[in-house]
Amino acid sequence: MGITRRQFLKWSGVSAMGAVVFNGCTTPEQELQVESPVNMPEDLVNGIDNWYATICRQEPEACGIIVRVVEGRAKKIEGNPDYPINRGKHSVRSEAGVQALYHPDRLSGPIYRDSRNDEFREISLEEAHNLVLNKLNVLNSEGQNDRALLITQPLRGHLAAIASEFSSGFGGRHMAFEALDKVALRKSLGRVFGQSRLPKFDIEHSTYLISFGADFLSSWVSPTNHSRAYGEFRQGHAQRGVHVQVDPRFSMSAANADEWLPVKPGSEGILAMSMIYVIIKDGLGDVAAADNLTGGQGHQALEIFSNNSAGVIEATGIDGARIEKIAHDFANSHHPLAIGGGSAGASANGSFNLDAIYSLNVLVNNLNKEGGVIFNPSPPISVLDNDSVSGAGMPSSYQDWKNISQPRVVMIRGANPIHGLPSSAGFSNILDNSEFIISYSSFMDETAEKADLIIPESNYLEDWGDDVPEPGPGYQVIGIQQPVVGRFHQGTVNFGDELIYYSRFLGLALDANLGLTEGSGFKELVEGSIRELWSKNSGSVRSSDFDAFRQGVLQRGGWWDVESGAKIEEMSSNLLDTSWPDVSFVGTGEYNLIPFLSNSLGDGNLAHLPWLQAAPDPLTSVVWNTWVEINSKKAEELDIIQGDILTVESPAGSLEAPAYIHPGVPPWVISMPIGQGHVSFGRYAENVGVNTISLLSEVEDKGSGSLAWAANKVSISKTGRHIDISKFEGNVPAFEVDEQRIIKIAPPESHDHKEHH
Amino acid sequence: MATETINHKWGMVIDIDRCTGCQACVVACQAENNIPLNTEDRFRQRRAIEWIRVERYWEGEFPNIKARFIPILCQHCENAPCEPVCPVYATYHNNQGMNVQVYNRCVGTRYCANNCSYQVRFFNFWEPVWPESLKNQLNPDVTVRSRGIMEKCTFNIQRLRKAERVIEGQRGERITDENLKEGNFLPACVQACPTDTLIFGDWNDPSSKISNLKEKHFVDGGRGYKLLGDLGTQPNVIYLKKVDINAEHKVDAHA
Repeated sequence: MGITRRQFLKWSGVSAMGAVVFNGCTTPEQELQVESPVNMPEDLVNGIDNWYATICRQEPEACGIIVRVVEGRAKKIEGNPDYPINRGKHSVRSEAGVQALYHPDRLSGPIYRDSRNDEFREISLEEAHNLVLNKLNVLNSEGQNDRALLITQPLRGHLAAIASEFSSGFGGRHMAFEALDKVALRKSLGRVFGQSRLPKFDIEHSTYLISFGADFLSSWVSPTNHSRAYGEFRQGHAQRGVHVQVDPRFSMSAANADEWLPVKPGSEGILAMSMIYVIIKDGLGDVAAADNLTGGQGHQALEIFSNNSAGVIEATGIDGARIEKIAHDFANSHHPLAIGGGSAGASANGSFNLDAIYSLNVLVNNLNKEGGVIFNPSPPISVLDNDSVSGAGMPSSYQDWKNISQPRVVMIRGANPIHGLPSSAGFSNILDNSEFIISYSSFMDETAEKADLIIPESNYLEDWGDDVPEPGPGYQVIGIQQPVVGRFHQGTVNFGDELIYYSRFLGLALDANLGLTEGSGFKELVEGSIRELWSKNSGSVRSSDFDAFRQGVLQRGGWWDVESGAKIEEMSSNLLDTSWPDVSFVGTGEYNLIPFLSNSLGDGNLAHLPWLQAAPDPLTSVVWNTWVEINSKKAEELDIIQGDILTVESPAGSLEAPAYIHPGVPPWVISMPIGQGHVSFGRYAENVGVNTISLLSEVEDKGSGSLAWAANKVSISKTGRHIDISKFEGNVPAFEVDEQRIIKIAPPESHDHKEHH
Repeated sequence: MATETINHKWGMVIDIDRCTGCQACVVACQAENNIPLNTEDRFRQRRAIEWIRVERYWEGEFPNIKARFIPILCQHCENAPCEPVCPVYATYHNNQGMNVQVYNRCVGTRYCANNCSYQVRFFNFWEPVWPESLKNQLNPDVTVRSRGIMEKCTFNIQRLRKAERVIEGQRGERITDENLKEGNFLPACVQACPTDTLIFGDWNDPSSKISNLKEKHFVDGGRGYKLLGDLGTQPNVIYLKKVDINAEHKVDAHA
């Protein structure tokens, strides 16, 4: 065996996108080496450890991970150095997977109650199956199949195929739940780029990155991938990349930017349009693209967005000269890249904003180019083609949830809409009025609490799976999830196997459609993927022998083919909407409420893990709580000090939370993290903080039906109460002394700043 | 095991221009080193334990505000103020450049923590407690520290010892950046760090990345500096300055 893993990485550094082929595919030598206890020093007793590659399911990014297993127990999660999405790196969220696995409040087997006022009692899996099948049979016999509703998180891989086969085969409905749904983003990317999959944003090779509201280093789309790229963007190349963040909130990404533009909420698109105006007017962009965007009319079509117009300056709060400079720097840079999302897509005019922002990429013609927007190809296995921009993988929007027709039987997996949807969606009533609710949750969360039957799922470290990463790295990747430890609780199930079992019992065509034989299950489907990849004889692992191939794929956590990039198709006409958008808000309060996803807890799906509760927020260092970020000058005016409990009131409701006095938040903004306020989700999540989502009013992005979660106006008042806010700041006495700054600053390395275009 | 002893001097370079403040290092350290759960109470009492932490400094105010991040861990000083004050020799400097805490010698005087200029030593005010099932995750290679014991960053010595046994003992090779990475022997914080802010290696290996970075950046105009360098503690951890595109306008007198 001549190729070591390290050599592989070296090679991947040399080739453009990490291309390497493991010819013959035997096992790298050192992967088989295990510590010999014979060589231990006498005073040290050490178990033998093994590392297994699999996929992280803690967050939608689904990084490749390797897990250290000692004596049948998972000890430590690291990033998989081979996996194209995260290349050996991982986030706080991935790290805590082992705490989800060994969580003391995990459900250990099926539980059921006869009536919703009763306590749950343990039942056997067989009884649980009978209950589910009886309920589905009743619907079937009454011809009310469409009143069965399957709710999952957005699924990928074979699980998506099974869920879709099951629900369509039965005649039921399937909805995918995403808290603070990114439907507006997906639809906009589909419109502007004509692509059906999320593209890769090549931050690593970009020289000028402008992000509108997307907290891409913390929570947006693919944060571990972005962070890895960002390190290289900063110090990996001869020229340090410039990052401008246009953000109504001082987010983690804004904190890292070279320049932060505290734009007025909702006006991100106006700023982007104004940049487009400047670029076209000054003849800097791609001429054909400019014609395409303006219908051949040039900058005159965009006159209302002139950077010097009173309307633009008033709406954005940014002066004309600054807009002009940023537009010039962007268009003149070698590899400009514009991304947008988060709050930019979550106002009443969110789709307008996102279309304008992504059109900047069209204008500078960075599509499918290094440092630009790189499109992703369809996966190599057709059944896994579950495109999430225009097709089956698209999550349901807030509007869909609001307009849901009353189901009779509800099956819920991996989603907690009771916590994640604002009460205006009325989803709680929908569940209360359902005859029978089956939850597959591993924990008793707010949605599981409404269920009649809970069949807890196994942890992802205990089970099989596959994944088509979203967004991909610009080429085909299939991630393979394998069990790295045995089941900790024997009563837990694989959700895929459950749906396969129901389908067989109900006589659905799932087996035939997915090519399953009798007696085989979800594991065999994953094996089927591996076999199909083998037959292609291309990509990162190749072998004439299937077993060796299978071994190679499992050892590396998946298969990828760097030669499989997406072809750029003829761009359809991308005419810009040149009418002035209606930036409107709900509520009459003085402040714009800008909620944000927690860096460690996500949308709250990880709030049950103590490491993540205790991971300080990067900017405020607050732990184990929800806080209200208020501008320091404003707080002084209002006589508010750190830890004062404030009431935050919106038309949808009110919450109480402690104030964090923040020098970065604009005076017109109140910012609060999302993720806490669980009334039920295990001992570490319950009664910690408040649920910011309950402040969100019924307002949608007009273009997509997404929840406009950044379009609320709130008022604040003091309750007169005060707490010592729990934060890391102050745990360690500051050791900085006047004469010695802890953080030292240097100017950029001198090199030729002149750029060519 | 009769193997030739190779002298290492472990150290780290921290490029704060790459750090985004994401906390991946902080949680990775806690997962690897059996650090007691930092409950809400512990933060309120100012007794949370983080062997590595990310400090955030504000600069200016809205709208001209900057937040700067810096990861801080034990600097493994060559001339460590914490060492001479320990009455029982529980804290000492080993022959690989590391400042080491011997748990079963420690009697909890906390003199070392008082004398540390960097505030990176943490005292166990309580016996650590985990729910029974979470104990399955504990790392068998790392001692759980009991009440009354001082603890601190070890550069994950358990991983380095294993690297010595595997790479030098079994294979007879010298430890390099490459084989440390390949065998998952790097400190957990370094391995996790998504942006490669933390770079670990051997100062005695002239081809190591940290040696090269030191050579490149400890010259005029380079970005290298030591935390509280004037104290003369001679840290084995060095920092590379944050780059600010406006830096020429505000000259740092101490740069």
